[in-house]
Amino acid sequence: MRINSGIGIAWRSMSRNRLRTFFMMAGVMIGICSLTILDSVGENTKRETMKRFKNMIGTFDTVIIRPGAGKTRGMVSLTNVPPTLKFEDAAAIATELPEVKQVALLQNAFDIDVKYKDKNVSPAIFGVSANWLDLRGDQVAAGDFISGEDMQSLARVAILGRDVLSVLFPEGDAIGKAIRIGDVPFEVKGVLASRGAGPGGGSLDNLILVPVTTASKRLFNRDFLTMLIVELRDPEKSDAAVARIRALLRQRHHIAASALDDFTLTSPQAVMAQVTEMGSTLSTILKGIATIAMFIGGAVIMSLMLISVSDRRKEIGLRRSVGASRRDILLQFILEASLVSSFGGLIGIVLGLGGTNLVAGLEHLPPIFAFQALESTAGLSVGLGLVFGIYPAWRAAQVDPVEALRT
Amino acid sequence: MIEVKHLAKTYRRGDGTPVEALKDISFLIEPGEFVTIRGPSGSGKSSLLNIVGCLDQPTSGTYRLKGEELSGYSDRQLSRVRAWKIGFVFQSFHLMPRTTALENVEIPMIYGPGRVDRKRAIAALERVGLGKRALHYGTELSGGEQQRVAIARALINDPPLILADEPTGNLDSAAGADVMGMLRSLHQEGRTVVLVTHDDAVAAYAEREILFKDGMLASDRKIAVLATD
Repeated sequence: MRINSGIGIAWRSMSRNRLRTFFMMAGVMIGICSLTILDSVGENTKRETMKRFKNMIGTFDTVIIRPGAGKTRGMVSLTNVPPTLKFEDAAAIATELPEVKQVALLQNAFDIDVKYKDKNVSPAIFGVSANWLDLRGDQVAAGDFISGEDMQSLARVAILGRDVLSVLFPEGDAIGKAIRIGDVPFEVKGVLASRGAGPGGGSLDNLILVPVTTASKRLFNRDFLTMLIVELRDPEKSDAAVARIRALLRQRHHIAASALDDFTLTSPQAVMAQVTEMGSTLSTILKGIATIAMFIGGAVIMSLMLISVSDRRKEIGLRRSVGASRRDILLQFILEASLVSSFGGLIGIVLGLGGTNLVAGLEHLPPIFAFQALESTAGLSVGLGLVFGIYPAWRAAQVDPVEALRT
Repeated sequence: MIEVKHLAKTYRRGDGTPVEALKDISFLIEPGEFVTIRGPSGSGKSSLLNIVGCLDQPTSGTYRLKGEELSGYSDRQLSRVRAWKIGFVFQSFHLMPRTTALENVEIPMIYGPGRVDRKRAIAALERVGLGKRALHYGTELSGGEQQRVAIARALINDPPLILADEPTGNLDSAAGADVMGMLRSLHQEGRTVVLVTHDDAVAAYAEREILFKDGMLASDRKIAVLATD
């Protein structure tokens, strides 16, 4: 028997027993469909998480220093950190450690009232250093950013985030206008480009940047910082650099050898690794479930094939009498099982891609299809038919034609 | 054509007791003969036909088909003999369900010497007078028509040997005569036809009658062909 005749026979047999074929396909279809969605959604989530972290942190080659022993959750602000991290600490890290290229400073608070004429907003106020743009990866969409001179002179200049701009200046033209942050008048110097969504999905554009010196002396009257962003000369040697920074800060803060740090050092790469690992644990569990679904699909194929073999004893006998060998029969039934599960898999993939679109739509994310995973998924569905088709096919080959043809 | 020597077949029943279906059978059938095998139920005729048709193998003894010794042949070798040299016609036709006459006739070509050739299948159906019903399903055909489809199927690989097991058993006498006429024409073009039957009217087409009783050959005689067209 030639293989194309075998495929022809299998195809005809499938189309003659549509209901049976449908049920045989169903399990594989569901399994493959969910696997396809999982692959795509997993890929999607990973990329999106990555992107949001990058939106928040800006760059992955930095070390972040926060005051406190790592107990603050979420975004730091003046109200939830201890007053331990000083401007002098930042200056010392920047000047005393050769591993450090530069340090950006942050002193921030949330929900500060900001007014322009009769319009009100309550954005986050970020007091930042002039090198913030380099380290944060932000971009200025209009006007200029905070300069070194602004830092020196405690200039009352503000850079608006996109959300603040759209509320205070719906017509868009804000540069040079006077706004009030708290009770202090500021002049709008620039507008930030949109940063997109953060890790929680919320907007990162509801903020105003001012010089950190101005924030400290004229706005908040606080001499401690909420965060430092340290750029290293050689990101490859970040472990050694982190150790040096820790040693320096402990010394400056007079921490005894037995005591814990009063600050937290985080390298964004470590955070990313953790996030990615979490994602992959979840997707491993989900993949396990999909695999079980597929094995159930395989078992359905096997049992329906076994029923089909006993239903088709006459056909088998007849084929044997006109010259089919046991091997021909074996091949025919294996082909049939593989073809059924391949079709099931194909439909599953199509449904899965549709499902991915749907899920992406619900999450308001652009759909990302994990096309590189499709190859293995498709292989899996063919293999499933092969594996679960072998036993029924073997049974079919063992049918005694004399018995089968006896009426 | 068919040469069997000291052929024996022993089955085991479900409870393990052996049943001797054939005991020491020897005979020779020359190419082109038309032979009936007769005998009461359980006399061993079907067992013999299964062995001659390479669907079953003897417990002992030898079987030569067209000079080819088939003892010890593997399943694949026997299957090839069936495909190339033997055409079967069964009492209950054994057409495949939900399959057209044409597709039924094409089945042996899948396993036979040539390629699947639709034109030849149509020609075979035309030969049995069913050219116009090629696309009908088995269930849409009368018994006689179904058996004619089965004859076309048996012919399609041009085998020298036709084996028929009660081919008219499920047909009325007119359809039966029709089918027998066709088997006779196969015989007339030089094929060897071996027919198992109970029916005297059917046996009347043959030139030779082998009679079985209790798994043994009771008689083997030439007879005058009584049936006429």
